Amino acid sequence: MRVRQIRDALLKTPVGLLGLLSLAAQVVLSVWVVVSYPDDFGNRVWSNPIHWVDNPKAAPPAWIGRVDNQPRADHWQTVRGEPETVEEKGRNLIASWNIPYIVEEGAVPAFLALTVRDVRFEERAPLLALTLIRPDETRVSVLRHAVRGPREGEEGPYERHFDDPLRIQLSADESTLSSLQEFLAEEYGLQMDAEEIRPRVMDILFGVPDAAGDGFAPMSGEYTFLFQTATRVEGDGIGSVELVAGGDAFGRMGTDSIGRDLAQGLLYGLPTALVIGVVVALLSTSIGTVLGMASGYLGGAADTVIQRLSDIVANIPVLPLLIFLLFIIGPNLTVIIGILIAFSWPGLAIQVRVMVLHMRSSQLIEAVQSLGSSRWRVMYRHILPQIMPYFLAQIIFTAPSAILAEAGLSFLGLGDPSIPTWGQILEAGFRTGGVYVGYWWWIVPPGLLIVLVASTFMLLSLAIEPVVNPRLRQTRRAD
Amino acid sequence: MRNLIPLAVRALTMVGVFFVVLLLLVLTLGLTGFSDRILSSVVGEQIRVERTTLAETIRDPDELERVLAARKAELESFYGLDIPWQRRLPASVFRVMRLDLGEARSLRSFAGSSRIADIVLERLPNTILLMTTSTVIVALTGLAGGLYVATRPGSWIDRLVSGLAAVTYAIPTWWIGILLILVVSVHWRLLPSGGMYSTPPPEGGWLRFADLARHAVLPVLSMVLVSVGPYMYAVRTITLNIAQEDFVGMARARGLSEIRVRNAHILRVAAPPIVTGLIFGLAGSLSGSILIETVFNWQGMGRLYYDALAGTPDEGVIVALTFMFTLMYVAIRLLLETLYIFLDPRVSYAD
Repeated sequence: MRVRQIRDALLKTPVGLLGLLSLAAQVVLSVWVVVSYPDDFGNRVWSNPIHWVDNPKAAPPAWIGRVDNQPRADHWQTVRGEPETVEEKGRNLIASWNIPYIVEEGAVPAFLALTVRDVRFEERAPLLALTLIRPDETRVSVLRHAVRGPREGEEGPYERHFDDPLRIQLSADESTLSSLQEFLAEEYGLQMDAEEIRPRVMDILFGVPDAAGDGFAPMSGEYTFLFQTATRVEGDGIGSVELVAGGDAFGRMGTDSIGRDLAQGLLYGLPTALVIGVVVALLSTSIGTVLGMASGYLGGAADTVIQRLSDIVANIPVLPLLIFLLFIIGPNLTVIIGILIAFSWPGLAIQVRVMVLHMRSSQLIEAVQSLGSSRWRVMYRHILPQIMPYFLAQIIFTAPSAILAEAGLSFLGLGDPSIPTWGQILEAGFRTGGVYVGYWWWIVPPGLLIVLVASTFMLLSLAIEPVVNPRLRQTRRAD
Repeated sequence: MRNLIPLAVRALTMVGVFFVVLLLLVLTLGLTGFSDRILSSVVGEQIRVERTTLAETIRDPDELERVLAARKAELESFYGLDIPWQRRLPASVFRVMRLDLGEARSLRSFAGSSRIADIVLERLPNTILLMTTSTVIVALTGLAGGLYVATRPGSWIDRLVSGLAAVTYAIPTWWIGILLILVVSVHWRLLPSGGMYSTPPPEGGWLRFADLARHAVLPVLSMVLVSVGPYMYAVRTITLNIAQEDFVGMARARGLSEIRVRNAHILRVAAPPIVTGLIFGLAGSLSGSILIETVFNWQGMGRLYYDALAGTPDEGVIVALTFMFTLMYVAIRLLLETLYIFLDPRVSYAD
């Protein structure tokens, strides 16, 4: 058996080809992810709740609407810079932005948030106002806000919200509540107190009282958000205004309970999973091969020690020990990989030794040795090439178990928090109870991806199995 | 008699496993300074408590500090903090080996005891129940299925089993468990999503048993779904390999019936590796149970791991559990392998 046979088995059987293509696609995608994602994606982006604050929480993927045909508001987000009009009104300059927003099929957004950045003024702090003009021409004043004025001892020009944007969650803002209270009383003669309004701010903003009089019917059509600032002098004003209408669905893969875009986390998990699988498989098989060759070729005390050690390590219950070690040393991906390597080599060491013993007594090796080849030369030139196929087979076979082991540890909460993995996404979904409320988009995709990557390696090992284990090939041929 | 030497080697290996794990535990606890940190925090906590009580009787602050310092030195020598960990930890290993596992910080047994030994021993039967049930089901279906498939190599059902084995090898058991919860418990509302009994548990032996069985269906199913394919495939492959041997061809050539060839010749040789595989499977399901018990909130030793890791981690419980899992693993392996040798005198461990 030669390495060439393995290559043929991979390239010329449908199973092998499928495995190789799948692996190649994963590698290409991984390279793209590694190049395009920021270096500290885990700490700065994924584990940073502020980064996800404008996303809807626990929203299913956007394509779900095409499957179940239920009206859902799309996630909507817009940023505007320069104002559309500026007019003088008394002593003030009024800058206005008209931002259209469409409600279709009565799909009311889940929340509404306003973010204002980079406010600058010479003397008097600007006033901000947001008005919602509805399809039936009624106007709701959603917000009036005065930017913080000069502090004692502070010199102008003044700058506000440069590093910390002014973000107002309108669906939960107290001043929005009271202006809605006024609006309901004036427009519909409805008296509601703040506590009654609080849970239905969005229904009131985007609806009209229904016939029964106890709820609000959504009103579809074209809305306009009118955002205005009142300033004193030319040059005062804001850098940008951002409006977010939270959707009932989000992106390609939905979001988790703190609004993280699952598509990003799932993509990021791919290179990590491949690295774990390949590094653990490569290093542990190398260690196993070297120790097995040493054991078989050197014999004597070295053989006994290596074989007893292999036997013991092969029989250690790994998961409890992994949990213990990670708990003590701390969750760190390098440590996880290191421990997995330390426990994965013995199987091959035992197997390789048997093969070396077999070969050592072969006539070829005896002849080469009697011609004066050194031990190392014999090992390197004559024994290693014969072991190579097993080495390759073992790499392919070890990779999926390493990936599954890391996923299991992450699921127990022992994953490296600075590097998000699929196991950690599943852990978050399980720990926060996402399973029990049926957030399938949070639970199914990460598991499927683990299975996809692991089964790619299984396909490869299925393809080369007849080469490594020729007896089975006979069996299959016979039938 | 010829089996006693290989058996002794197996036994020595398992004892070796046990001591290597203990050594790893001690070295990790000692070298990382973890043991010192934990004991110092225990002493600190005790001193803080005593300071408040002593402050009521001793008014002079200097006197109070002096008494507390003496008390602290006393406690440190009691816990062995005044000697290096290389000398202290072996002593605690011997304590642990006598199953004196210490006290849990916040976890309690169902009866309310905080002794870790009580907590673990109470949960041990639950783990064993889950493990043995699923292993027996896997063994029976795997054996029957594997032997059947072996009579039809190359058929569609054979390819199906091979494919199933490869795919299930790539599926995390615990994820299957979560999927089952999502579909069967949450979506269809057919079976409970976790726990061992309903609240309140039904009265009466049979009702209680039926309730337990209902709660066990999903965890057992997830373990069976993932293990049965590979086991079936292993049984099939071992049987097929032996069917290729010359002596089987000889038996056929002698005109023996196919059934007789299978039962008397193939199976007799195939039995030892098949059973060995099962033993490994049973011992391996011990690890699998940690994750499955976590998913289904099954009150066994595995779920205890998760509970000890979550929130403020309970170091004592984690050390004790790692020890107990290793002990159980070694004990199960030794017991089964010995039993196996004495039950079937034809079996030899010699290669």
